[in-house]
Amino acid sequence: MRREPEHGVVGRPHPRIEAPDKVTGRARYSADVRLPGQLQARILRSPHPHARVVGVDTGAAAALPGVRAVISSADAPAIRWYEKSLLFDTTLRFAGDEVAAVAAETEEIAEDALRLIRVEYQPLPFNVSLEDGARGEADVYRRGDAARGLREAEVVVEQVYTTQTALHNALEPHGCVAAWEGERLVLYESTQGVFSVRDGVAEALGLAKDAVRVVTPHMGGGFGAKQIAWKHSVIAALLARRAGRPVQILLERDAENLAAGNRNATRQRVRLGARRDGTLTAVEARILMQVGAYSAGGESSAVAGIYSTLYRCANVHTEQVQVFTNTGPAIAFRAPGYAEGAFGLESAMDELARALRMDPIELRLRNYAERHQEKDKPYTSPESLRRCYERVKEASAAFERQHRGKRRRGIGFAAGDWIAGSGSPPGYAWVRLEDEQHATVITGAQDIGTGTRTALCQVAADELGLPLENVSIQIGDSGAGPYGPTSHGSTTLATLGPAVRAAAEAARENRHGEGARGPNPQGKAVRTCGAQCAQVEVDLETGEITVLRLAAAHDCGLVVNPLLVDSQVLGAVTQGVGFALFEERRVDRASGLVLNANLEEYKVPTAADAPEVRNVTLSMPDLEANVLGSKGIGEPPIIPAAPAIANAVFDAVGVRIRDLPLLREKLLEALGR
Amino acid sequence: MRPFSYSSARTLDEAIGLLGAGARPLAGGTDLLPLMKADLGHFDRLVDIKRLAALPRRIEENGEGVVLGALATLSELAASPTLQERYRALAQAADAAATPQLRNMATLGGNLLQRPRCWYFRHSRIPCWLKGGENCPARDGENREHALFGDAPCVAVHPSDPAAALLAFDADVRLVGRAGERTLALSDFLRLPSDRRRVETSLAEEELVSAVRLAPHPPETKSIYLKAMDRKVWAFALVSVAAVLRLAERRIAHARIVLGGVAPIPWRAHAAEAALVGQAAGAGVFERAAQAALEGARPLAGNGYKLPLARALVRRALGELADAA
Repeated sequence: MRREPEHGVVGRPHPRIEAPDKVTGRARYSADVRLPGQLQARILRSPHPHARVVGVDTGAAAALPGVRAVISSADAPAIRWYEKSLLFDTTLRFAGDEVAAVAAETEEIAEDALRLIRVEYQPLPFNVSLEDGARGEADVYRRGDAARGLREAEVVVEQVYTTQTALHNALEPHGCVAAWEGERLVLYESTQGVFSVRDGVAEALGLAKDAVRVVTPHMGGGFGAKQIAWKHSVIAALLARRAGRPVQILLERDAENLAAGNRNATRQRVRLGARRDGTLTAVEARILMQVGAYSAGGESSAVAGIYSTLYRCANVHTEQVQVFTNTGPAIAFRAPGYAEGAFGLESAMDELARALRMDPIELRLRNYAERHQEKDKPYTSPESLRRCYERVKEASAAFERQHRGKRRRGIGFAAGDWIAGSGSPPGYAWVRLEDEQHATVITGAQDIGTGTRTALCQVAADELGLPLENVSIQIGDSGAGPYGPTSHGSTTLATLGPAVRAAAEAARENRHGEGARGPNPQGKAVRTCGAQCAQVEVDLETGEITVLRLAAAHDCGLVVNPLLVDSQVLGAVTQGVGFALFEERRVDRASGLVLNANLEEYKVPTAADAPEVRNVTLSMPDLEANVLGSKGIGEPPIIPAAPAIANAVFDAVGVRIRDLPLLREKLLEALGR
Repeated sequence: MRPFSYSSARTLDEAIGLLGAGARPLAGGTDLLPLMKADLGHFDRLVDIKRLAALPRRIEENGEGVVLGALATLSELAASPTLQERYRALAQAADAAATPQLRNMATLGGNLLQRPRCWYFRHSRIPCWLKGGENCPARDGENREHALFGDAPCVAVHPSDPAAALLAFDADVRLVGRAGERTLALSDFLRLPSDRRRVETSLAEEELVSAVRLAPHPPETKSIYLKAMDRKVWAFALVSVAAVLRLAERRIAHARIVLGGVAPIPWRAHAAEAALVGQAAGAGVFERAAQAALEGARPLAGNGYKLPLARALVRRALGELADAA
C-alpha cells in the first residue's frame, strides 16, 4: 500500500502531450517511414475460401522491371504459423489467406506484378457460418450444480442470443517497414505490443530476440488486432533480405478486414434460474464462438467469463466451444469475449427482471458479488460496482420514457466486469533526471493511442514534484527501453504506472532510477467493472433506433487524467453503438467471400450516431491492486454498451431482438408481428 | 490501380474527341477512382473535364425552369437558395448523400452516372451479371439492400439520392456528343439494365452530361426527400422517397412519388400518384397512396422490410407536405 499522490499533477485533465504532433502531422506512423532505398510490397491473397495451391508461377512477376523480390509457397522457408499451418501454406483456408508477395520500386509496380503471378488453385469444400463450422472441444466451467439450481428456481429465463462478427477497422491498417542492419532486423511496426512482435518475428526467423528491434512511436489504433506478430511483418523481413533493401508493407483496407483479425461471432444459449425475490439459483451458458480458419493467438476471447463472475450464484455451468470456419482468423477486439458475453447475460438479466417485475438495478444488487467466485477470493474493491450502480442511477434519473406516439423512448440498463485491467506484470521503466527541473521517462512499451505517454509523464511529474511540461518520455522502441507488456487487457497504465513511480522515486536519489511493477495481490482478486444506462428513441414505423443519451460509471481505480478516461469511455461507447446497431461482417454463403471488407459497406459509427455520453466515473484509488491505485479503462466501457442499448429498445417498444446488430429488418419484422 | 493516361481537355470538342471506348470523363472522381482502384473498371484514359469553361456549372433560373450545370457539386446543390426554396427535395437529397468531403467533390453529372453499390457488383472476385457474368448472385444471396421492383436481371438498386428527387421534378438531361446536343427526359436517360445494355443509363460512350433542367413549378408546389439509412449519415439509402405535391383548395392537383433504394433506377410510383391526384389531402388518402406505392413489389429473401419502411416514408412525406401547404 502506498500513499496518495501529493503534487497534484495526477488527477488533472491535461490534454495529451502528443496532441500537437498528431494534429500538425509531425507524429510519424509506419506509413510515414521513408528509408533510403525503401521498396513497397504487396501480398497476393487467396480468392477462394478453401483451396489447395497446385502450382505457383512467379516468373513473369519477377521479370517485371522494378520488381526486386518475390516470395511464395514455391520458395518460402517452411515457417510455422497459426500453430498448424505455414507462413505460405499450400492449403488456403480463407479468402484472403496469403499466397505470395512482391517487393518493388513502387506500389503500382508491386500491384502489376501480383497480377502476373499465375496460381493454379484446386478449390475445396468450405463452410463460412457458425452453424456449419467444425467444432472444437468444449471448455467447461462448473461451480455447484446448475441443473439443480434450475430445478429449484421459481422463474427461469431461457433464450438464445447471438452476436455478429465485427471488424476492428482501426483508422491505420496493419503495416511495417522492415530493414536489415547486418544480421539485425529493425521493424517500424504499427503494433500495440513491440515486445510481442519482436518475440514472434524473432521466433519465426530463427533469430535471437535481441536481434530484432521493433519501433512504434505512434499508431493509429489497434483495438486488440495489433497485439501479435502477423504474417506481413515476417513477409516484409524476408522480402527485405532477398532484395537487400528496406521493405514497406501496408495492408489495404480489404486485406485489413479479411486477414488481420475480427471479433468472433457467438451463439449463446442461456438459462438463468431465480427465486421470486430475485436471488439467482443458476446461471448456465452454452456458447459457440466462431474463431475462423485459425487460432491466431494473443489474448483469448472468454465469452463465458462474465457469466461466472458478474453475479453471486452458487450454481454455474458454462461451456464454450470454438467453431472453425473458412473465414479470417478472429483475434481480441476491445474486451474480447466480454462484450459478446455481456450481450447474452445482460439481456437475459433484463428479461429476468421483467419476469420478476423487479427494477433491473435492484435485481443486480440482490445478486451482488463481493468475491471473485471463480478464484474464490475477495475483491480488492468489493464496493466499487455498487457505487457504479448508484452513480448511473443518479446520472440517468432525468432520462424519460415515451410509450405513446410513433417515436417511443425507452431506458435500458446493463453492467459488466472485465477479466483484466489490473495490470500484467512484469513491466519496467526508467526515469532520468536531466537536471534539477527536468526528467525523462523511458520504457520500451508503446502507446496504443490511449494516452499512455501523457499518463506516465503525469505519474513521474507527480512523484518528482515537477510541472508536467518538464517531463518528457521515450516510448515505443523495444531496443531503447526496458520491457513493458503488450497494451491489451486495459493493463498498460496499471502495469507501467507503478513502475514509473518507483523509477522516479529512485531517480530522486541517484538521478537515474529503475522501477519495476510488483506482482498483483495474491490473496485478493482485482476487478474492473462498470454500469451503463442508455436512453433510446425508436421509430415504430421505420425501425430507426437513435441512442439519445448514455450514462456510464466505471471503476478504473485512481483516475490519473480525467480527459483520457473520458475519451476511452466515449470511444468505447461509440464502438458499442456500432456493435449494437449496425456493424456486421457479411459473408456470401455461395462463394465464401466477404462482401463488405471496406468502410463503405461495413458501417462504423459516425459522430452523428454517438449519443450524449455522461461519463460519471469516479476516481476510486485501488491501492490493494497496485501502489498507484489505477486500473484499466480502455476496454470495460464497451462491455455494457450493447446490452444497455438493446434493453432500452425493448423498454421503448416491447419487442426484444436477441440477435445483434439491431438492424431495421429485425425490428420491423418483430414490430409487425 | 492499373496504369492509365490522363488528359485535361481545354475545349468541349477536345474532350469529346478524347472520349470513346476505354476512356472516361473525370470530374469529381468520387466513384470512378474507387471503381478503378477496386479493379472494376479498366480505363486506358481519363479525360479531366473539371476545368472545361464550356460546361456550365452554375445553378441558373430562366424562363424554362432551373438549369443545373453537370459540374455543380452536391454541396452547391444542397446550399442553393433557389433549390431550397423551390425544389427543396433536391437540395435535401443532395445534402443527404455521402459526407461533406464527398459532397464537395462529387458533381451532379457524376452522381447520375455512378454505378450501383451492390456488394456483389463491387467485389472484384465476383463476376455478377451486371459485369458481364451469367447470374445475379444477389438474387439468392445477401440481399437486404436490394431491389423490390424492376424485374431486371440485376437486383442492385440505384445509389443516387439526387436522381430520385430530379425524377420527381420531371427533369430533363442535356447531353453533348460528337453529333451535337440532345435532350432526354431523365426517365428515358435512366434505364433498367438489359441483356443488350448492362448499364443503368442511355449515355453513349463519347457523350457527356452537360446539364440537368428542372421544369418550372408554380410556387405553391411543395416537395420533400426522406431517406432511411443504417446509420445517421454517410450511407446509401435503404429506402428513400422524393415526394412533390401541389394542392389547390385542399385538393391534390399534382403529385409525384419516387422511391429510391427499391429498383435499379429511381422508381416512380405511378399508382400512388394516381391515388392522390384529385383527392382531398388527408391521412386516409395518404395511406392509400402508400399502399399503392408498393403494389407489385417482389421482395427477395432479405429485403421484405423495405415494404413497411417505404410505406412509412411515403405516408410521412405526404403528411409533412400537407402540413406545410
